[in-house]
Amino acid sequence: MRHPTEGVLRRLLDEPAGVADADRQHVAGCHECLGGLASMREDAILVDAALATESVAGVDVDSAWRRLSTAVPAPGPARPAASPRASRARGFLRRPAVAALGVAVVLTGAGTAAANDWLQIFRTKQIAPVTFSTSDLIALPDLTAYGDVVVTGKVDVNPVRDAAAATAETGLDVPEVTTLPRGVSGEPVYQAGREVSATFSFSAERAARAAAETGRTLPTPPPGLDGSQVRLVAGPGVAAVWRQPTGVPALFVGRAVAPKAFSSGVPFETVRDYLLSLPGLPENVATQLRTFTADGSTLPLPVPADRMTTSSTQVGGVPATVLASRDRLLAAVVWVKDGLVTVVAGSLDPGEVVSIARELR
Amino acid sequence: MDLIPHGGATAAAVLAIPRGVAGAEKGRVERKEHVAVSGSGRGAVRVDLDAVFRRDYQLVVGVAARVLGTRDQAEDVAQDVFLSFGRSSVPAGEARGWLCVAAAHTALNLIRSGRRRISREEASAADDDAVVSDVAETVVTLEERSRVRSALAELPRKQAVALVLRHSGLSYSEVAAALDISPTSVGTTVRRAESALRRELIRHASSD
Repeated sequence: MRHPTEGVLRRLLDEPAGVADADRQHVAGCHECLGGLASMREDAILVDAALATESVAGVDVDSAWRRLSTAVPAPGPARPAASPRASRARGFLRRPAVAALGVAVVLTGAGTAAANDWLQIFRTKQIAPVTFSTSDLIALPDLTAYGDVVVTGKVDVNPVRDAAAATAETGLDVPEVTTLPRGVSGEPVYQAGREVSATFSFSAERAARAAAETGRTLPTPPPGLDGSQVRLVAGPGVAAVWRQPTGVPALFVGRAVAPKAFSSGVPFETVRDYLLSLPGLPENVATQLRTFTADGSTLPLPVPADRMTTSSTQVGGVPATVLASRDRLLAAVVWVKDGLVTVVAGSLDPGEVVSIARELR
Repeated sequence: MDLIPHGGATAAAVLAIPRGVAGAEKGRVERKEHVAVSGSGRGAVRVDLDAVFRRDYQLVVGVAARVLGTRDQAEDVAQDVFLSFGRSSVPAGEARGWLCVAAAHTALNLIRSGRRRISREEASAADDDAVVSDVAETVVTLEERSRVRSALAELPRKQAVALVLRHSGLSYSEVAAALDISPTSVGTTVRRAESALRRELIRHASSD
């Protein structure tokens, strides 16, 4: 009979039971195959050794889970038949979710614009980011195939000693909370981050090449788009965070210079519409892009309507957006005034965050 | 920021910043091969995240560690991967394979973009000799291991991922399902990757 393929021989090393009897019998009596098998075994051992790493048997899963829990967004609304376990999970996740929301609102520009594999576009004077997160990028065509993304500045949001140090680093005053809500006490931790910017330069030639590689035809770029740039500037920003005794955040108050977008060559709308036409743009990102409007009504975060409600109010004489999770686990209020975006977020009622916001000094 | 006290990859994920990207760098994004990230349910956390995390965290760290050589950096990658997973609608039955593939891709991307903490890896690897088998200890030097990891990142992505998944303990069926190829193709793909890496080792050994 014919010799089994290399793939079959290789599997024989690892999973003999996965190889057909006829192949196993052949190999057992075939010097050529046995020789090949021995050679493969040597290579496999060598490579396995080369890939060896420190043992992962001792990883602290509980600690890792706590770390992850600080980063995941709020879980969904309670379900009628939720198990006790699920309820505990929600309780555990609720407060970190506040942190994620607050940070995202205030610093999303700084963080995301600085990412070197991330492109963010803001409408000037609005705070509506389109986020291509790292997870989206896994499913995205390589954006650098369409041009260059160059980051200037350094993403460096750090704890600082006190409010004065935050101000010294950023030039922004940390909003001062006059009365802490019930359940929140102690001194906050202050954070400061400096300005960063990112520039995306579209290249028609590279984009066409990338499209050709995927067998797709690049939509014809509008005149003037080739070589044009979108420059995004975000930050600096400051924040104060109050924690629970367990360390998870209970209240977040942050302020940052509102992100700005500058385009050269062609209007921003042209860039946006063209990006929407690129092959491979995920539908959810496209949907976010399409929500950009000229009237400033776009929310600063992609808010899942099935989980969050939004309403309008006034803070300091300007319109503000109130976000509240439908399960009432968290609330936030966001507004832009004098080029600064401010957010108050917490595991609080919407009324409480608005009250805190209005009393900020 | 401090809201995410551990910083690193977790903060990066929240802020959508891949770690270590500060500074004027050109972007580098690896095109996906077989990872299907669902955008639906964005903003929500899937209800099975806790259970899947506890079941597969160690495995996912192991996959990333095989690529990167260090456990702590692998844990950073695992955080990113589970964060993405938590927001995804990957079917539960495909979670394990998805996580492993995503971890391998993310870790390989780190190497390719040169953002790996090399000195730390080498320091760490130097402490690892005890866990390497006797055979390996005599034939694979620290430098060779480092070189193999670089070569790994240069392999066709499917080969590299299949190799890492297989050497992380996934069965042929699991690797096949995760990469959407046949189990026999797994053997062929892993074999090609091993041959390429061996050639890399021999090439350098003969030039020394």
